[in-house]
Amino acid sequence: MKLLEYKAHEIYRRYDLPCMNGMVASSAEELKAMDGRIPYPMVLKSQVQTGGRGKAGGIQFAENRKELEEKADFLFNLKIKDLPVEKVFAAHKVELTREMYLSITLDRKVKQAVMIFSPEGGVDINQIAEENPDKLVTVYLPPNEPLQDFTLQYVMDASGLDEKYRADFKDIAGKLYRIFTEYNCLLAEINPLVVTDAGRLLALDGKIDIDDNALFKHEDVRLFRDEITGNPLVLEARSFDFLYIPIQEKGSIAVISNGSGMIMSSIDLISKQGMAVTCALDLGGGATSDRIKEALRIVAENPKVETIFLNIFGGITRCDEIANGIMGSLSHLQSIWLVVRLEGTNKEKGLAILESASDRVTLAAGLKDGVSILENRLGA
Amino acid sequence: MSFLIDNETRLIVQGITGREGAFHTEQMLIYGTQVVAGVTPGKGGAEVHGVPVYNTVMEAKVKHGANAAVLFVPPKFMYGAAYEAIISGIPLVITIAEGVPVHDMLRLHHLAREKGCRLIGPNSFGIISPGKAKAGFMAHRIFSEGSVGLMSRSATNAYETVFLMQQKGIGQSTCIGVGGDMIPGSPFVDMLPLFEADEQTEIIVMIGEIGGGEEELAAAYISEHVTKPVVALIAGKNAPKDTSMGHAGAIVSPDGEGSAENKEAVLRAAGVHIAEGTEHLVEIVEQLIKGK
Repeated sequence: MKLLEYKAHEIYRRYDLPCMNGMVASSAEELKAMDGRIPYPMVLKSQVQTGGRGKAGGIQFAENRKELEEKADFLFNLKIKDLPVEKVFAAHKVELTREMYLSITLDRKVKQAVMIFSPEGGVDINQIAEENPDKLVTVYLPPNEPLQDFTLQYVMDASGLDEKYRADFKDIAGKLYRIFTEYNCLLAEINPLVVTDAGRLLALDGKIDIDDNALFKHEDVRLFRDEITGNPLVLEARSFDFLYIPIQEKGSIAVISNGSGMIMSSIDLISKQGMAVTCALDLGGGATSDRIKEALRIVAENPKVETIFLNIFGGITRCDEIANGIMGSLSHLQSIWLVVRLEGTNKEKGLAILESASDRVTLAAGLKDGVSILENRLGA
Repeated sequence: MSFLIDNETRLIVQGITGREGAFHTEQMLIYGTQVVAGVTPGKGGAEVHGVPVYNTVMEAKVKHGANAAVLFVPPKFMYGAAYEAIISGIPLVITIAEGVPVHDMLRLHHLAREKGCRLIGPNSFGIISPGKAKAGFMAHRIFSEGSVGLMSRSATNAYETVFLMQQKGIGQSTCIGVGGDMIPGSPFVDMLPLFEADEQTEIIVMIGEIGGGEEELAAAYISEHVTKPVVALIAGKNAPKDTSMGHAGAIVSPDGEGSAENKEAVLRAAGVHIAEGTEHLVEIVEQLIKGK
């Protein structure tokens, strides 16, 4: 789960990691009320779950009250890559003399955390790697070991960091590593890490991505997740322990299956035949009749969905349960056509139940057959 | 021959008194697996389907000579249970739980290596050597003994493939769920030498998916060390970027790292047959068998 910048700054402050001291506003009025509470000049940063906010005008500055009011109205009417700005982080503008880059992330191949530092920052990491490869230092951090002084010494020496910044760097890097491990992060990135006009290092931005599967260890962050997910169907599905995945804007097909692999395979085959899947829902294991009903209901709430491909390969899943769930849903699924593939435990029972279903249910003999049925009806 | 598990394997089930643990213990026994003991802390002295239960892995190991463990333990408790099994000297530890915290797995992955343990999973369907034994929750009736070795990140794609093989009378030597989480205990590349060395295995099937770099690492190994034909399927070609497709590990990063295109390209360059889907995969396997 990717935290918004102001949330990352909250965590930085808990660890006394030097960062911008600011406040978050949830409306233009709240932002205007920062007048007198934060000294000018002020920086106003939109909090959205996407990159490129600077280019889209999502970062503004205010020198006085009049500007604050204008910019507050501007920002809360702004959309960045279709996402409305719902929160703005306001802080006293930092005068900086230099920008650096520091991150700790996960290397899935090596299966270790990796610290990446460059005394030249401010642009994204790929650009740093291209423009200043000799200043970019990468060091692996073994998971069963604390962060060692010699590791940081190496990073500072190899990057040629000025002596005068080293005390601050060691402090910040040590705290960032604690955040990375204690919050179960997949990424903790400070870009830019700036040198202020007073010659001190400070985190001007903050990106923290926390492992979803470790959120149970961090109640504060878990609650925050529900606040920021834009898609109501994702939330609704989550309350039933389903995973709802938006796939493509275009398209009218929804895929429901009991496993991530089967969902991907289904989408791949449907897409290969030139059709488009708009969303998918993973039931997980052990689907019951009631859960199938809920899953069908949630997917049908997406107005783009005209066809549902229900592809169930039951290991532990019982096909008769699935069939009963479908039967119980038909009256609520107006004008939606279902292609159903059932395989596994109690398959015959399941098929017998569906034999009596309406002409809005078509049975498929397998995954490929299901895709052919879709193609015959929907294909160009 | 098969490998990792067979009818000599002395298996313990951690979490045996739970609903899933008990149910699958019975299934494994029915299949002929030697389930010698169960472990649930605090439930020592109980019995599940005739299998004695102990508080600790060490006691189960000492009393029954156990040499493998399968964990039906929720993800929150997986770290503690796997840690106990590894430290107690169990050489093969199979973890079923889906969604184990990544940092827990980072520690376990390296610990298992240090201690000489093969850690399989998490988010694995387990291991089956058809006709001999199984450790996991796979629906065993679709598996049959044969010459295809299979390993998969996804359970459902593995089932689908084995099911289609069954219809064509193609059997398997050993099938391994390497797991769908972000950090596998033993990735594909660790399993390849076992398939290569196994006399029963004539064709290796690798079912990968988007995310991470395990298929790329496997490709590098295959081009250097594997002489047997390898057929691969990469699921998730049409998944949106930066979106987890259910498996925690199935995610393409915003800059395209972990894409199906790249995986297919490097595997192809390593001489691996690339399948478009499960049916295509089984067709390729069938051709390879006929061509022998």
